[in-house]
Amino acid sequence: MLKTLIAGASALALTLAVAGSASAADKPLYGALMKTLSNPFWGAMEKGVDAGAQKADVELFMEAVESDQATEPQLNACNTMLEKKPAVMITAAISSTNLLPCLKHANELKIPVVDLDGNLDPEITKKAGVDVAFHIGSDNQAAGAKAADYLISALGKDAKGSVLVIEGLSGNITGAKRANGFAEELKKAAPGFAIVASLPGDWDSLKAANITNDTLQRYPDLAAIFCANDDMALGAVEAARAAGKDKLIVIGVDGNVNAVKSINAGRLNASVAQLPYLVGMQAVENAKKVLAGEKVAEFTYVPTLVLTKATLDSKTDPLLQYVK
Amino acid sequence: MSAALSPPASPRSWRQRVFGAATFRFESLLVLATLTIVMTVLSPVFLSVSNFFNIVLSTSVFGVLAIGMTFVICSAGIDLSVGSIVGFSGVVGAMTAANLNLPWPVCIVATLAAGAFAGWVNGFIITKGMIQPFIVTLGMLGVARGTALVLSDGVSIYGLPPEVVYLGQGRPFGVPAPVIILLLTALVAHVLLVHTRFGVYAQVIGDNENAARAMGVRVERHKTLLYTLSGLLAGLAGLLFAARINSGEPTAGLSYELTAITATIIGGTNMNGGRGSIVGTIIGALIMGVLQNGLNLLAVRPFYQQIAIGAVLVGAVWFDRVNSKEGWRR
Amino acid sequence: MSLLELEDVRKSFGAIEALRGVTFSVEAGAVVGLVGDNGAGKSTLMKTITGIHRPDSGAIRFDGASLVGKDPGDIRKAGIEMIYQDLALARMRDVAANIFLGRELTRNVLGVQIIDTKRMYAEAEAMIAKLGARVKSVTQIAGQLSGGQQQSVAIARALTFNPKLVIMDEPTAALAVREIEHVLELIRTLASHGIAVILISHRLTDVFAVCDRIVVLRQGAVIADDPKSQTTMNAVVAHIVGATDVPRQGAAR
Repeated sequence: MLKTLIAGASALALTLAVAGSASAADKPLYGALMKTLSNPFWGAMEKGVDAGAQKADVELFMEAVESDQATEPQLNACNTMLEKKPAVMITAAISSTNLLPCLKHANELKIPVVDLDGNLDPEITKKAGVDVAFHIGSDNQAAGAKAADYLISALGKDAKGSVLVIEGLSGNITGAKRANGFAEELKKAAPGFAIVASLPGDWDSLKAANITNDTLQRYPDLAAIFCANDDMALGAVEAARAAGKDKLIVIGVDGNVNAVKSINAGRLNASVAQLPYLVGMQAVENAKKVLAGEKVAEFTYVPTLVLTKATLDSKTDPLLQYVK
Repeated sequence: MSAALSPPASPRSWRQRVFGAATFRFESLLVLATLTIVMTVLSPVFLSVSNFFNIVLSTSVFGVLAIGMTFVICSAGIDLSVGSIVGFSGVVGAMTAANLNLPWPVCIVATLAAGAFAGWVNGFIITKGMIQPFIVTLGMLGVARGTALVLSDGVSIYGLPPEVVYLGQGRPFGVPAPVIILLLTALVAHVLLVHTRFGVYAQVIGDNENAARAMGVRVERHKTLLYTLSGLLAGLAGLLFAARINSGEPTAGLSYELTAITATIIGGTNMNGGRGSIVGTIIGALIMGVLQNGLNLLAVRPFYQQIAIGAVLVGAVWFDRVNSKEGWRR
Repeated sequence: MSLLELEDVRKSFGAIEALRGVTFSVEAGAVVGLVGDNGAGKSTLMKTITGIHRPDSGAIRFDGASLVGKDPGDIRKAGIEMIYQDLALARMRDVAANIFLGRELTRNVLGVQIIDTKRMYAEAEAMIAKLGARVKSVTQIAGQLSGGQQQSVAIARALTFNPKLVIMDEPTAALAVREIEHVLELIRTLASHGIAVILISHRLTDVFAVCDRIVVLRQGAVIADDPKSQTTMNAVVAHIVGATDVPRQGAAR
């Protein structure tokens, strides 16, 4: 008896935490499936999606899963969301393949699918017969290249030195593109640099810190570290400064709120801001266009901005408003 | 001479006759029913055939794991490696198909065999080395996951044969294939646990291992079989997981062992071993599935879902202790 | 040839020599009392006979065949049953399940051996009735029975498969007076049916009440082995505490 009360009470109590209760049925319902909210990058994207939804005057049904490795739970969440028959499904897939069965079902239900932040490999979706309305994200390849350009501008293109690259989650296309963009640009523009190690940090700051420590053991004169996201860059920079390496240049990608704090405090050197807020906002805008029958480009790249102490201090760049 | 036996044994209760000697925790069924009602009230789409299939589909992978876990926990053991074996076996299977281009039956057999092998290693070390299951399977948790990452070079292996993908995404007679596989596995496991010596001995070993040994049960051999079974079922879960997303992911099943343990305990299996119930485990898995699905429909943050599941687990066991009329406690 | 023959049985656990060359035998239908102080090796010796321990050296023969190396299941099948001091019951299972523990009755269903609970309940009831045990129903869970009832179940289990030798380890230790008399009565009944009994007990009055022979174990070896008529309780006590302390057979070499 008591047990059933507890079960009922906990279920009811939790509904108080529901963001935006589902009463008004007149506004179209947009479904947004994120990866995880524990990373500030995705937090900013969520805010952007929210802002976009408010601007477009639609109702938003947003879901996320507990970690950015929870592939099956994300697939389950996707299936569940389709039960509510949203007008459009905006998804940030954890891997190129984990949501495919659900997206196929969305196609069958004539619900357009939006690839948020370029997580779906177009080759794979075509092979699987899944139709994606459009892909929107930052050009991860270009972001990596911009990070390399910053490094070259800081140390000079004829400089020599060893560089550590800390990649994202193994097999994730975003991380792969960023690391690849960085490596290629570096090789092209400043061949004096040598990438001595390129290891997966799984988007995790502690892992990146450990990798940094281990690499510094072998290469104490490491010149720079490029990390495929800010969480890892923050881990790496803490490890580097703790080891006394104040001249080591550490560059991240995302431009998230913690990275901004770190740059302002003079610890992290730079971060390529991918403006997830802007990505989220534009995704919803473009989704509305698709539903209205307008044409939208298949691949939309949102511009990036290299954040350094100088950029942040001068406050002149217009894109800074999207850094959340 | 003392008084002769009174009238012939009282007929067994209806519960005992239908479900055999291993009765489950009836209260869990009530919790499941209550949750279903609450969720339906809060989200009308909850009570639909397609949503129901979604719920069972979402529990199919860790449900299969929980079935294996039930046997192991009955014997007063534990298997912490099943989540890692899901990833390991999925990678092995995907490699036979995508890298070695072997026909689809090989893929299925390889996946199951990989799981069974890992489980057998667990059983071997536990019995021959006489090391606690907690420690051995904790070690295998790392070894299996690491091996999966090594074999796959850390990358998902995409592209399984269509026959295999059907096991994860097909809908024979409109019912998702993993649902059918879960229910079939549960049926076979129930018969095994309750109606065969294999299952009875699993429970007796957890109840009183010395008595089992004294009465002629070959305890070491039996334990090895139990862990092999757990590994085999983890291989099956790995097959379902890979088929659902059409790729062998080395990170598949991360922390699923905890989910499997939770479902098993909520369902009524005694954590200290001795009595277990497959029916209860399935109910426990469904409770977790209903919670997750219902809270997803309400767009509740995943963090709250974790709190809810933890609360239900402890609540379920606590109230069972308080209300228990059966002599399960020691 | 005796039913059970032990010859120079030795067993060590690491540095501890539990059995230092035990030699004695038991005839069919005889009741042998095995007495000795705590730590003398009585339980270890019995567990070696039933196959839980494997002797380091020495011979154990039952009905002429060697028991050494056989596992407990096979030894039960050969006809030796033991009622352990802690009763060795599965406390979460019912009476019938306990009676048939290790030897469940099965029937063939579609090629699979399914446990035949119906037959097990029927035969368990019959055995309980035959013993006159005060167990209300064989569906009761063993852990919920009283100590005396639990022992009835252990006894029923030992007798269900027509053993030739029954070993009882301290069967009367936790019983009330009336129940003790039942156990002694049972031992006499078994003996009259040609079933040999080894009774381990520290209650010498019980031992002298039912046993034909009394074997005293001290520090892992037999130091006295006499028919009841040729010894007294005082003599036995003296042997137990070591007052006589000249080892009779094969102790330290």
